Amino acid sequence: MRLKTSLLKEPKHKELVSCVGWTTADELYSCSEDHQIFKWNLLTNETTQVVKLQDEIFPIDLHWYPKTAGGKKQTQAEICVLTSTDGKFHLVSKSGRIEKSIEAHRGAVLAGRWNYDGTALVTAGEDGQIKIWSKSGMLRSTLTQQGTSVYSVAWGPDSDKILFTSGKQLIIKPLQPSAKVIQWKAHDGVILKIDWNSVNDLILSGGEDCKYKVWDSYGRLLYSSSSHDYPITSVAWAPDGELFTVGSFNTLRLCDRTGWSYALEKPNTGSIFNIAWSVDGTQVAGACGNGHVIFAHVVEQRWEWKNFEIILSKRRTMQVRNVLNDAVDVLEFRDRVIKASLLHGHLVVTTSLQCYVYSTKNWNTPLIFDLKEGTVSLILQAERHFLLVDGAGIYLFSYEGRLISTPKFPGLRTDTLNSQTISLSNDTIAIRDKADEKAVFLIDALSGKPLGDGKSLLHKMEIMEIALDQYGSANERKLALIDKNRDLYIALVRRFGRDQKIIKIGTMVHTMAWNDSTSMLCGIQDTQFTVWYYPNVVYVDKDLLFKTLYTKDASDFSRSPHILNYVANQVTIRRSDGSLVYTNISPYPDILHEYVNCSRWDDAVRLCRFVKEQTLWACLAAMAVANKELITAEVAYAAIGEVEKIQYINMMKDLPSKESFLAYVMLFSGNVQDAEGILLRAGLIYQAIQVHINLFNWDRALELAVKHKTHVDTVLAHRQKYLENFSKKETNKRFLQYSEGVEVDWEKIQAKIEMEISKERERSALASSTTTLRSSLPSRQ
Amino acid sequence: LHIHILAESVRASLMLSSLQAMAKDPLADAGLHFDELNKLRVLDPEVAQKTTELKEECKEFVEKIGQFQKIVGGLIELVDELAKEAETEKMKAIGARNLLKSVAKQRESQQQQLQALIAEKKMQLERYRIEYEALSKVEAEQNEFIDQFILQK
Repeated sequence: MRLKTSLLKEPKHKELVSCVGWTTADELYSCSEDHQIFKWNLLTNETTQVVKLQDEIFPIDLHWYPKTAGGKKQTQAEICVLTSTDGKFHLVSKSGRIEKSIEAHRGAVLAGRWNYDGTALVTAGEDGQIKIWSKSGMLRSTLTQQGTSVYSVAWGPDSDKILFTSGKQLIIKPLQPSAKVIQWKAHDGVILKIDWNSVNDLILSGGEDCKYKVWDSYGRLLYSSSSHDYPITSVAWAPDGELFTVGSFNTLRLCDRTGWSYALEKPNTGSIFNIAWSVDGTQVAGACGNGHVIFAHVVEQRWEWKNFEIILSKRRTMQVRNVLNDAVDVLEFRDRVIKASLLHGHLVVTTSLQCYVYSTKNWNTPLIFDLKEGTVSLILQAERHFLLVDGAGIYLFSYEGRLISTPKFPGLRTDTLNSQTISLSNDTIAIRDKADEKAVFLIDALSGKPLGDGKSLLHKMEIMEIALDQYGSANERKLALIDKNRDLYIALVRRFGRDQKIIKIGTMVHTMAWNDSTSMLCGIQDTQFTVWYYPNVVYVDKDLLFKTLYTKDASDFSRSPHILNYVANQVTIRRSDGSLVYTNISPYPDILHEYVNCSRWDDAVRLCRFVKEQTLWACLAAMAVANKELITAEVAYAAIGEVEKIQYINMMKDLPSKESFLAYVMLFSGNVQDAEGILLRAGLIYQAIQVHINLFNWDRALELAVKHKTHVDTVLAHRQKYLENFSKKETNKRFLQYSEGVEVDWEKIQAKIEMEISKERERSALASSTTTLRSSLPSRQ
Repeated sequence: LHIHILAESVRASLMLSSLQAMAKDPLADAGLHFDELNKLRVLDPEVAQKTTELKEECKEFVEKIGQFQKIVGGLIELVDELAKEAETEKMKAIGARNLLKSVAKQRESQQQQLQALIAEKKMQLERYRIEYEALSKVEAEQNEFIDQFILQK
């Protein structure tokens, strides 16, 4: 990826350009110390003078009113705030008319910024004050006052916090007066410029120590650049938070969000005092010290999938290379390419007006449809459909170009969605709630309605990253999530009224990704690269979890790597220095998944025998139990030496009915509640009571017995025996109460149990003769 | 030129003094003279002739002086022009010298810029190298896997 810059031969402005600001994707306003405001139209390449300001106004900063303010969308920004050296800020319309001039600070007003919803404006001055203003320019409050000038100021993603500079320090101050202020020393020199991205919540700072740094919103350093030759005079995040640019003397740098630099340009500009990204995130403009305005657009982005490699060679041209036969196709577009995504055999490209869908099988005839609003900020792909996010909403399209649904949820704010906070699979969309970061909205993809009872999935911690698995039936859809403590959890998406169980499967997980075709999950745990061959194991046999893991030393990937994708048997990882690293994963688990999905159990067992790996056997064991395939489970458990489990499986074989078998499988996975539910629904009260007795769940057993007025004596008898074995005395009041009137007679109880079991047997025999049961159990009986 | 003019002026002054000596004969004392055509003259014809000669010579002299002045004027102009030209050349030389100095500086900054670009490219190269290594490793692993697979079969 690199920047393609363009500069006019002669500067338009006579003095240094102090600030620039985009109104649309192709229109820029620039202000200079020669008092002129120019408008740059990039479509017609025209530059016109909008207005010549009065001689005493020397502009310093300019910020256009946000486009998507207050829920209402405007096609264009209409008004901007222009700060000047005379201590005033001015509200200027598009035509250049000064609507209002407000006395704000003593000395120059160094920065002015609208918040994201356009309800407030913050200004920072040479006098060290920060003031909050209403939209119309009424002073709301003076947020802070300090001894040094505030050179730059930025709003937090929710517009409830302000970040500002104080000499070498950065300060985050919430608007609420009682909330905690975060303050830290960020640079060795005076900090000149900062920016805070709303999508990824990261902070960027550049200063006179010639370094730029990336911070998270807690003030932890994520990246620090090496020292440059000149002070960093400007920094700016791209709107989607994936890239940022840094400006210095004769220097323009394009960097990844993790800090490493994609490209460096050395244009003849003088110091670049201000950088602004266009709304669609494809180009930047810089205000240069020698009167120039530099434009640069991002080209040569790359996408890779299996044997295809695509490069955005020009603004409107893509080059597709098939690595297998070196065939090259060139794709031409009518407008500038804004976003693209290549996955699942499809390339989705959005331009400012249209969406193109290519199949990797045919690059000649794309499917084209028009977009409602131009700037798509995110494309997500699943096997069957893809999702577009723009400023107005979320749209799900099929690869045939049909609009499937437009998911909606309360508090929908599309400008903060990124690939970490929204995930798509064939049947489900998961979106992390912005207002409550512990919650995840689950939406049915096909209908666009919330799943099940409409309640969102709640976790106990703030969630940082979510991902849905891509394979399998909708009922087995799983959500992997990483929380603030960097613990990895897994949850079933469709729970059918059951309690949500979010199970922890890993700790210190920095990054993760599901396989694109099977439900395998890979991640980097602390210093280990880990693959969860069968994450579902936690719902089947939690003890097996560690046996189904594949781990490998991750020191090759250096510090804080990021997993880009996990396609087939290859994981692509981006190291923190920006280099791509690939790692291979054994193909056997993939094959095993395939066999199991087609219920080819014999082949699966044969594969495991061939490979002779414990992890594979453990996976097979769990898969077999999950599919209630007891013979295979027995073989697999034998191979990994879990004797007690084989015993249990053998015991299950003798169970009298299908229901109790199901219940015991549930018990095997530790789902006592589900097991009880199955038994009670089938009317097998005795079995349910026996389950609880076996688990020493005395209270529940007695409760059931009393409720259904049966086997109270059985419970009491077992309890008595238990107490005798441990030579204890009955202390439980309820047991004392019921044991008074009941005589314990073991023979009678045994007879009753026998009767129950034979009754159950009869009933299931009757049932199996009328219906053909798919389970293997009745046939064995 | 100067010497010529000086000689002329000396000759003219000598003539004047000889004229005064000749006017001392009796007629002449009365202030009367005859010329070659025997006409009475108040002034000694010799003197008169000499005077005419002198007059002519003076005229010539004035002309010559005028010419001289013109020539000198032209010369001065020329010299002035030369001086101006010399001045501009001098300025040019100073400018060139400064430029030369700044070129060195410019080169330095250019070098610095190129160095920065080289560093950037080097970093990119390093990234590619790491990527290549990783891919080579993957290839080796895959080959190993294939070999193993064939052996086991």
